[in-house]
Amino acid sequence: MAVSGIKNKIYNSNTLHKIWNSVPGNSAVGEKTDKIFKKIAKVITPAENRLILGATALMSQPFIDARNKKVDQETRTVSVARTIAKIIAGTTTGFLIRRGAISAVKNWSKVGEPGIKALFAPPSANRAATDAYEQYQNTFGTAIALVAMMFTNFLIDAPLTKFLTNLFVDKYKGGNNETSK
Amino acid sequence: MKPPNNAWNGLKDWLYKNYGEHPGKMFLHTGTVAWIFSALGQLTAIVFNDKISSDQKAFLIPQELSDAAINILSFYIVTSSVTKLASKLVSTGKVTTKPIREYLEKCGLKDKIGKLDFNIPNALGDKFSEIKKDHYKPFKNGVDIAASTAGSVLSCNIITPLIRNSYAADRQQYVLAQKRRQNQQNMYAPGSLDDYQKLAAM
Repeated sequence: MAVSGIKNKIYNSNTLHKIWNSVPGNSAVGEKTDKIFKKIAKVITPAENRLILGATALMSQPFIDARNKKVDQETRTVSVARTIAKIIAGTTTGFLIRRGAISAVKNWSKVGEPGIKALFAPPSANRAATDAYEQYQNTFGTAIALVAMMFTNFLIDAPLTKFLTNLFVDKYKGGNNETSK
Repeated sequence: MKPPNNAWNGLKDWLYKNYGEHPGKMFLHTGTVAWIFSALGQLTAIVFNDKISSDQKAFLIPQELSDAAINILSFYIVTSSVTKLASKLVSTGKVTTKPIREYLEKCGLKDKIGKLDFNIPNALGDKFSEIKKDHYKPFKNGVDIAASTAGSVLSCNIITPLIRNSYAADRQQYVLAQKRRQNQQNMYAPGSLDDYQKLAAM
């Protein structure tokens, strides 16, 4: 009640309206931009989203860890190795499981078809060829992937992260020893 | 293989109605749950990794805990804020496409486009269906998904690592200082009368 009251007060304040209305941008975006956003809606599912997140993580997180001067060199090395290992393991399994689950739901959610082909089709859906239906399939696929990941996080992600961390740390130490010889 | 009961159909309908029209919300909610599960798995990986020394674990466990807490919170707060803002930009017409704008102008709504209290679906009422399927929804879904992806990249890959490293380093210093204090106390505190006599005889 109190939170919604504050939200309403902020939303109804003249200052907010003035700021919002004074921001330029009332012209329409070009046809190319329109097409790009429509393509994004079609192409990017939570699986691709996970892939983008992983790729950008590899470009930023290890460098942030490597510049963390608050810890000693040894800890920093393990931290960077673990971050890279975690990103590789998490992105690979996260992407593959999401992709697989979404594909499975898409195959088995045909509206109006009998048996297993309509296993995931919601009774209230009349047609399958709509944006809302595609987003529903992505949602259900992702929900199934999340349940699967409750197990794969322990069975695949965690041991793979451990294996890769040790591999990277050993390689780094081996490389350093060779150069110091 | 037949769906077992009404609960199954109810679940499918609920997901269809709640998330089919709102992919941005779906990205946000599934992303948050995924980070919670992922954090649990990663924490287990550190605890049971024998090759990581206890001193390094003193850094990595709090790093992982802070990573999880900050990741989940910043993911939810940043991503939902960015997605809501993007959604508002489209629903008010602040950011729109040529066909949508032309249709709004045709309906005599030119002066209201882009105003904070303007909402395209509400303002058009029954006429909304004319632009919904081909223009408004595909564009808005794209903007929502792009915004939630940008929000998640910003929160998970920049904000979280910066905050969590700072917190985990402070935590490591604290844990190591405590260990040192404990070792010193053990060194000077004999456990039995025998120990005390041996120390006194030195």
